[in-house]
Order: sequence, then C-alpha cells, then structure tokens
Amino acid sequence: MRREYGAYPIWLRCWHWGNALLFVILLITGLRMHYLLPGPPPLGFRADVLIHNTAGILLTLFYCLFLYGNLRLGNGRYYRVVAEDLAPGLIRQTSYYLWGIFVGTPHPYPHSEARKFNPLQKLFYLAVMYLLFPILTVTGWALLFPDQLPDKMLGVPGIGLWALAHTYSGYFLSLFMVVHIYLGTTGHTPGALFRLIWSGDAGRPETPSRVRTPDLGTGPEVTTMRRLRPDKEHT
Amino acid sequence: MRAVGSIALLLAGAIWPAAAAMAQTGEREPPCMECHKPRDTTIDPAQFARSVHAALDCTTCHTEGVDTFPHTSTRAAMPDCIDCHSGPASPPIDFDKIAQGVKASVHVKMVDPAFRCANCHSPHYFIPASRMTDASEAILAANKSCLGCHAAGDAPAAKGLAVAKLAEKHRLLFRPELHLQRNPCVACHTGHQSVHDILPKSEALRECSGCHAQNSMLVTKLYTHLALQERAERGWVNAILFNSAYLTGATRNKWLDWGTLGLAGLTVLGVAAHGIGRWLFARLRRES
Repeated sequence: MRREYGAYPIWLRCWHWGNALLFVILLITGLRMHYLLPGPPPLGFRADVLIHNTAGILLTLFYCLFLYGNLRLGNGRYYRVVAEDLAPGLIRQTSYYLWGIFVGTPHPYPHSEARKFNPLQKLFYLAVMYLLFPILTVTGWALLFPDQLPDKMLGVPGIGLWALAHTYSGYFLSLFMVVHIYLGTTGHTPGALFRLIWSGDAGRPETPSRVRTPDLGTGPEVTTMRRLRPDKEHT
Repeated sequence: MRAVGSIALLLAGAIWPAAAAMAQTGEREPPCMECHKPRDTTIDPAQFARSVHAALDCTTCHTEGVDTFPHTSTRAAMPDCIDCHSGPASPPIDFDKIAQGVKASVHVKMVDPAFRCANCHSPHYFIPASRMTDASEAILAANKSCLGCHAAGDAPAAKGLAVAKLAEKHRLLFRPELHLQRNPCVACHTGHQSVHDILPKSEALRECSGCHAQNSMLVTKLYTHLALQERAERGWVNAILFNSAYLTGATRNKWLDWGTLGLAGLTVLGVAAHGIGRWLFARLRRES
C-alpha cells in the first residue's frame, strides 16, 4: 500500500536528487582537477573546469530552493533543535548506532509526519547545510572571479586561502555524503529510506511510536514508520 | 677670499647630498650618465642601478666610437652578450645551451637570423629570474620582454588595446587576461629543452595539464632554483607558485593530500565495518 508523507513533498524530493546529482558531478570533476587525473578527450582539464563551474552555479540555485523551502514551505521546522532533548537525544541516538542497531533495538526516533530527523541528524544537517555548504558555495563563487580576490590574506595568497577553504569544505561534505548514504540503509529495511526520498512512499500504515520524545509534542498518537519486522506484525 | 669660501660652501652643499646618497646605496654612477639621463636617452639610472650589469662600466659593452661625439658606434659593432656569457665561465647558467635554444627558436628562423639576446633582455635593466624570490615579480619581468614587441604601444590606451587583442588570441584559456597577467609567456610558448627555444604559434602548449600538474612547467621552466629549495622545506608541491597564487592541480600539500585520502579511507572502512556488523548480528538473531 502506498502512503505518501507530507514531510517529503515533490519539490523536496526533486531538490534532494538534483542536489545529489550535482554534488557527485562536482566531486568527480573537483577530484579530477585537484589530482589532475587523466581522462580521454574531450574530458580533459578544460572540460572538467567547465562542468565544475556550471554544476556549481546550478548547485547554488538548488541551495536557494532549499532555503526557500525551509523558510516558506514549512520544511524548516524539521531542523528545529529541541533544547531539552538535545543531550539525551544525542546520547540515545549514538548508543543506538553503536549498539542498539546491532541487537535489534527499535529506532529511538522513528520517522513520522512530525519528525524526520533524530537529534544527531539535525545537528549534522545544520552544520552541513548552514555552515559547510555556505562556505563551499561562497568560496566557489569567489574562485569564479579570482582577479577580485586580495593578493594576500593572513600572509598567504588570497586566492590560495579561498581555494583551500573550497577544497576542504567540499572534502568534508563528501565524507558526510558517504556516511549519509550509508545511514540511508538504516530504515526498517535497507531500501526503505531510499524509497521514501525517491517516491515519497512511506510504506504500510504504521504503529504508534514506542518512544515519546519532546519534539513530537503531546498531541494524539503519531503514526510512524514501523521498525518491527513486517512479517511478525502483519501476518 | 670670503667670496671664494662662500662659493666653495655652496658647491659642497649642492654636491654633498647626492654624493652621500650614492655612497649610502653603494651606487656608482658611470661617467656616461652625465649626458645619458632619461630626458634625452633611454637609460633610466635607477633601473640600471638595480640591474645585473650595474657594476659594469658602460664601456665594457660600448667599446667602439664612444670617445668622439657624436658617437660613431653602431649596435652591430658592439660585442655580443655571448662574448662574455659563454660556456662554463658563467655557471650555473649554461649559456651554450641558451645559444642553441635561441638558434632553434622561431625568432631566429622566422624573424631575424641575427636575433640577439638584447632584443628580449635589455642589458641595461635585466635582472635574472634566479635572483628573484617572488614568482609574480619574475613573471612580470619575463613577460615584459615579450610584450615589448607582442603588445607594443607607448601610450597606455594603445598598450591596453594591444593587451586586449593579445587576450582575444588566447581565448582558448579560461580567463585569458588573468592567465596572461599571472603566467610567463614562455611556459606555453617554448619547447621542453630550453625557455629560449620560442616555438611557432601552432606548436604552443595547449594542454592545461602542462601547468596544472605536479611537475608544472611554470616551475620547471623558470623557477627551478626556488622550487627545489622550497619544495623540501614546506611540503608543498610547487611551493614557489603558492607564494603568489594557487594553481589547481599544481599547488598541493602532500601531507594534506595523504591525510585527506587516509580519512576518506577510514570513513569508508568504518561504514563498511558497521554495515557488515549489522548484517552479521541480524543473521545471528534470525538463527537464534
């Protein structure tokens, strides 16, 4: 049975996959430029630069869509950190990844209409989308106009400093992407979260969450994606 | 007597500051300069004083026809640079190799069989790249020789137009103006063997990877002396370029490169181990 979440509207899914595609293109061309990896013509350095610049500009537009969606389309509420649940939430989620996930403990923060991210996820996403990503974007744009950069900054060439910030913010975002893809397999089935972000399909009707946490509020029971094995629940 | 004393005092007052200034900077202005000042001739004493030939008398090179006025010397009658600069007498620069490069160059083959060093290297103002510690200074000096003919123009507007035309010819490059400003022309326009072997336009380097590389031509062609010294000191590949610019693919720190590769490897191993652990535990749970 198909069940669509309002938490993953079509614009968000398009943004996510467009963002992912552009980021992978930027990563590949960025690595090829940095390490000067040989490639068959016409995929030489010149093509890499052209593709990298174009993808970078498009990625900025996608980032603007992300900001708009967060500010005006209600997606921002999922990133709101609940102060009272921050420390215990981080501990709960970290211990789940370090132990609970191996022994089959239910996910402490299952997905729902009201909550997409666990506290650890929120913290990482905030750092990634509101710190690293802006650094990457601003430095990338600056490098499109290298003649406007100061000759010297902090005793080294201005362009060098911006380029280093660009390279290494991109690098840490790439590491984030590796972990992000892996954690995408931690849904109730390895493909569940990928299906969710691809089609918005959350799967079968869910059972109520077993863990009440402050970010879900105190309203009526909230349906969540089921973490228990489906064969035991629905047969 | 008092009048003579006053005149002597005035003369001393006029001469002393200049003499003191010259003594202070160690400059020794050649006697020819009494006439050859910038207003009427092409010699700028300040630039000459900084040049590699500042210690020489004018007559070291201007050997003929300087005793009479007007001077009867012609350029053709002057000794060639190679008369002094040749063979092992001037290490570490191999002037014989330079001479071979010039002979093979398009300047000799297509412009003038008697093409001389001085056509590019002004003997009055020349400072060799090996004496420069800043790459951008060396690039500026090296390119000045080329632009004197290839972007000729006395007035700033004419010069600007010539540079714009030159940029148009180099539109193969991204941001051609910037490439022209910040790179030596000889990096692309010379053969592998010698920076004096100027190639025809059709044979110029067109591959970005010639410079955007670990073994960047920018370093191997002009600044080897600086690059070798600094490469060992700071762990930067092509460190000399990093002094004045960042060149994608060329200015890299080997420790950062290894560190980032290592961290990326650990991340991939970490998630792989976690995933395998999950699979094994799930299997154990199912079996039990």
